[in-house]
Amino acid sequence: MSSANLKSQMVTDLHVATKKKKRSQWVAVWKRLKKNKAAMIGLVILVVLIVTAIFADVIAPYGYDDQVLQNRFQTPNSEHIFGTDAFGRDIFSRIVYGSRVSLQVGFIAVGIGAIAGGALGAIAGFYGNRLDNWIMRIMDVLLAIPGILLAISIVASLGQGLTNVMIAVGIGAIPGYARIVRASVLTVRDQEFVEAARAIGTSDFRIIMKHIIPNAMAPIIVQVTLGVANAILSAAALSFIGLGIQPPEPEWGAMLSEGRQYLRDFPHVTTFPGLAIMITIFGLNLLGDGLRDALDPRLRD
Amino acid sequence: MLVGLIGPLSLALTACETRSSNELTNRLVVAQASDATSLDPQGANDVHSALVNTQIFETLVIKDDNSQILPGLAERWELLDDGLTYEFYLRENVYFHNGEEFTATDVEFTFLRALDSPHVAHILGQVDPNGIKVINDYKIQIATLEPNAPFLQHLAHSSAAIMNRTAVTESGEQVGQNPVGTGPFQFEYWLDGEYVQLKRYEKYYGEKPAYKELMIKVITDNTNRTLALKTGEVDITFNLPTSDVNMVEKNEHLRLFRLANFITHHIGFNLTKEPFNNVLVRQAINYAVNASQIIEDVLNGVGEVATSPISSNVWGARADLAGYEFNLEKAKKLMLEAGYENGFSASILTANTGISPDIVFNVVNQLSKIGIEINIRQLEWGSFIESISGNDHEMYMMGWSCVTGDADYGLYSLFHSSQGPKAGNRTFFADDRVDELLDLARSTININERLEAYYEVQEIIVEEAPWLYLVTGETLVGARANVRGFRINPGGHHKFASVYFQ
Amino acid sequence: MHKYILRRLLYLIPVMFGVSLVVFTMMYFTPGDPARIMLGESAPAEAVEDLREELGLNDHFVIQYGNWLKDLIFNGDIGSSYRTRRPVSDEIIDRFPTTLRLAAAGVAVSVVVGVPIGIISATKQYSFLDNASMFTALLGVSMPNFWLAMLLIIQFSVNWDLLPSSGLDSPISYILPAITLGTSSAATIARMTRSSMLEVIRQDYIRTARAKGQVESVITNRHALKNALIPIITVIGLQFGALLGGAVLTESVFSIPGVGRLMVDSIGARDFPVVQGGVLFIAIAFSLINLLVDILYAFVDPRIKSQYK
Repeated sequence: MSSANLKSQMVTDLHVATKKKKRSQWVAVWKRLKKNKAAMIGLVILVVLIVTAIFADVIAPYGYDDQVLQNRFQTPNSEHIFGTDAFGRDIFSRIVYGSRVSLQVGFIAVGIGAIAGGALGAIAGFYGNRLDNWIMRIMDVLLAIPGILLAISIVASLGQGLTNVMIAVGIGAIPGYARIVRASVLTVRDQEFVEAARAIGTSDFRIIMKHIIPNAMAPIIVQVTLGVANAILSAAALSFIGLGIQPPEPEWGAMLSEGRQYLRDFPHVTTFPGLAIMITIFGLNLLGDGLRDALDPRLRD
Repeated sequence: MLVGLIGPLSLALTACETRSSNELTNRLVVAQASDATSLDPQGANDVHSALVNTQIFETLVIKDDNSQILPGLAERWELLDDGLTYEFYLRENVYFHNGEEFTATDVEFTFLRALDSPHVAHILGQVDPNGIKVINDYKIQIATLEPNAPFLQHLAHSSAAIMNRTAVTESGEQVGQNPVGTGPFQFEYWLDGEYVQLKRYEKYYGEKPAYKELMIKVITDNTNRTLALKTGEVDITFNLPTSDVNMVEKNEHLRLFRLANFITHHIGFNLTKEPFNNVLVRQAINYAVNASQIIEDVLNGVGEVATSPISSNVWGARADLAGYEFNLEKAKKLMLEAGYENGFSASILTANTGISPDIVFNVVNQLSKIGIEINIRQLEWGSFIESISGNDHEMYMMGWSCVTGDADYGLYSLFHSSQGPKAGNRTFFADDRVDELLDLARSTININERLEAYYEVQEIIVEEAPWLYLVTGETLVGARANVRGFRINPGGHHKFASVYFQ
Repeated sequence: MHKYILRRLLYLIPVMFGVSLVVFTMMYFTPGDPARIMLGESAPAEAVEDLREELGLNDHFVIQYGNWLKDLIFNGDIGSSYRTRRPVSDEIIDRFPTTLRLAAAGVAVSVVVGVPIGIISATKQYSFLDNASMFTALLGVSMPNFWLAMLLIIQFSVNWDLLPSSGLDSPISYILPAITLGTSSAATIARMTRSSMLEVIRQDYIRTARAKGQVESVITNRHALKNALIPIITVIGLQFGALLGGAVLTESVFSIPGVGRLMVDSIGARDFPVVQGGVLFIAIAFSLINLLVDILYAFVDPRIKSQYK
């Protein structure tokens, strides 16, 4: 075998060995997570949420904009288990459909943040020097502007609506992920197998994707779980000040805002969306904490 | 013994509620939803600034409840033969808050300054800069560029308030924070974003206010503002949300004031876009929407069904038009006739504040019954105005306030073909006869001619239905039960000088 | 140490430049004409045009930004509000003390509530108290603070008429807004205090101190807390900074005329100078607070101080 082939074989072997080790590591993580009862509760809540969102059409007894003005402000009863709102719409159905909006915002906004931020962080960490400087300086600019003001400005300039809320919240999340990934990249960058891979001519892109990113997965996963929670809260906050989704789409924060003026006389209109937000965030936090504990490298040893 | 205490204790508490601490300290506290932006009457024309300015400044003429012109700072006036020039005889022995006497030079200064301000162009734009002549200290002539019938109505608007030349010149850039007027209240202090503090002007020529201090507070949040009224912290609160009407009426310590205002809430159609270019479709939509139900259910009974583009308390408005009664069958028939028996889809733009969104939700729901599927786009105010200033919109939800109380203001910029969407004609409505009538009514001073012209104009505009006519608004004001002498001004220029406690 | 501070301060300059550029660009491309918004929808088009000319709104993006920058650098002038014509600096300075007080109140609540809970939880790890506190803390973080504000107002102001619901006139009017702001921070601080104390407690030298025979509580209070202080200080600093511009919702609900609300209102009115100046101001304040926190670090932990050479 030629020396080039030998080197390539070594890298592949190393790679395979690494993969096996990784797989068993993930299994260990899952086992640790299962033992954490709180985290399991969080996982269950998340799963219930996802199922609700996917099967909303089946679960919700009414549409989310079925206005029946004769039925306004009904308190929970047999026909409307969460009661009705100011337009006679079934609150339970709106909460169910609202889970779709919340999950979309949560995952897509975080997705934008993680992918864009991660890419920027990886590039910054990998190439270092001036590129690193410039990228991190831009991240500092984003961080210096208070999150909610940044989101409000973006939504004001792009217009209201689900997509723009996701973009606004997503952009705000970018610096966080950039930092995490960059930190991970810096720890791994100078290690031997990276040099080896480079030596045989693997493209930088492949190196980053195959060797470096997987290292950053642990902190990214934790950040993502908590990030989804934050994104949902931010979207609710934006809707609360009237800059969120477009009505009549149901969004829990918007429902809180709409029900506000009736809080004294018809508290149920705000109670359920408030609880929905709280339980969702609570569950995500439990899961995130559990993941952080399960992925803690020090516990691994 | 405990029971014995409860009696007098609760009596004391209720007694505390009826004699508010404000009454005891001889001051009136009023709350509104936003802070004034500028106390220069020519520097801002939003309702919040106007509320404060109305207490500090005065105009040459004022209007009574029937929109009749009465003397203000001008005792009498006459229109000269050229049909353009008014000669005003000014009140003597009137003093500004800085001690200077009110004379014709202040009036001249005020109007010349107004011509440079874009904020009041829509109120004082017709003044001829070369037609302002000071005859003597108490006599002044003011001419308009063209014969302008509603001119006096415009002069009664708070933006036409007379300012003191010395004070304005001295203040320079700070004129918006140092108002000096002739009104019954004098400016004391403005705590930015929180309140404006005024005090009674002891040298006022007319009837002085019964109390010494007036505080105009800012409470942005609806719930909190009404709450402040309930606790007695505030004596009068504006911008009362419709959902609080029942609570205020039922509460024996509070009173509800309500009066039709000059606002017509409507949905406009862009006549250049299909299918809104078809009058049958527009009429069908008018028949399909039950406006009374909206008033009852969405607006909690506040408002009246609109049968004309201008509300019935505007001078020149017709109260006798039949309008479009709710008739689903007729609506469907018209849609069939127009070729749209299966309906169509369209989009509507609305701002995200006030009663507009709620009304839109309901209208969209109602229109789905004749097959019209409407996609709602809610925009924040600035973007909303921008979005209807071009030719992209199909339908939009708006409330137009005819602030001068004269039909011209409520019709000309909206329906004259020369006015584009940036000026107010967002429906691109163009009718030769309407143009003719509006021009005539604007220039003739013959009252009957004006009335006839406006009567015909309204008939045509309702028939042509460039709008979905919905609701004419009501101003809602909540007050403590011990507040007397308050009258709502339909244009929003409420005066507190006549208020007293009892 | 001084060189480090100087470097950090110099570093601020390009970042702030970036902030102003980003904000300016966003506002420039936001639909909505400030002149039209100011004059109202019934103003004639010519009036709107006149006002646009007056405010320089028709100038090219580069010229507008350039003028703003020029005024800032050479005259120290960050412009005047389109709406009120007052200098932007006045508008901000009028409101900043209020926001500062509110942020301080919020942080005070979060520290007073969060730190003790965190300590108790850490020292009594896995006990019922620990679990209950952490559960409550998590709830606190999960509850949207505008909902909390609504509930607090309904209960304490409307139903019981105990506490004021708007404004910041008297000391008691700080209570509800401070609780609203402080709750999720309190929860975060409690959790952070707990976890950083736990980390420290695990460490060897605590074992050593124990071996020397000192009383349990002295051990925890002195050694653990001092070292756990570092991350706690970070969080407190971050919270305080975030509250400076981020208390928007609380300020809206309680009608508190702070900087956050000024920003939101100005964005809505397209009052560009105020948004520009305001965000810049907040960003600088936030960065300075971060710097302060880092310096405090150095005093609390001499090991870090040596890193700052």
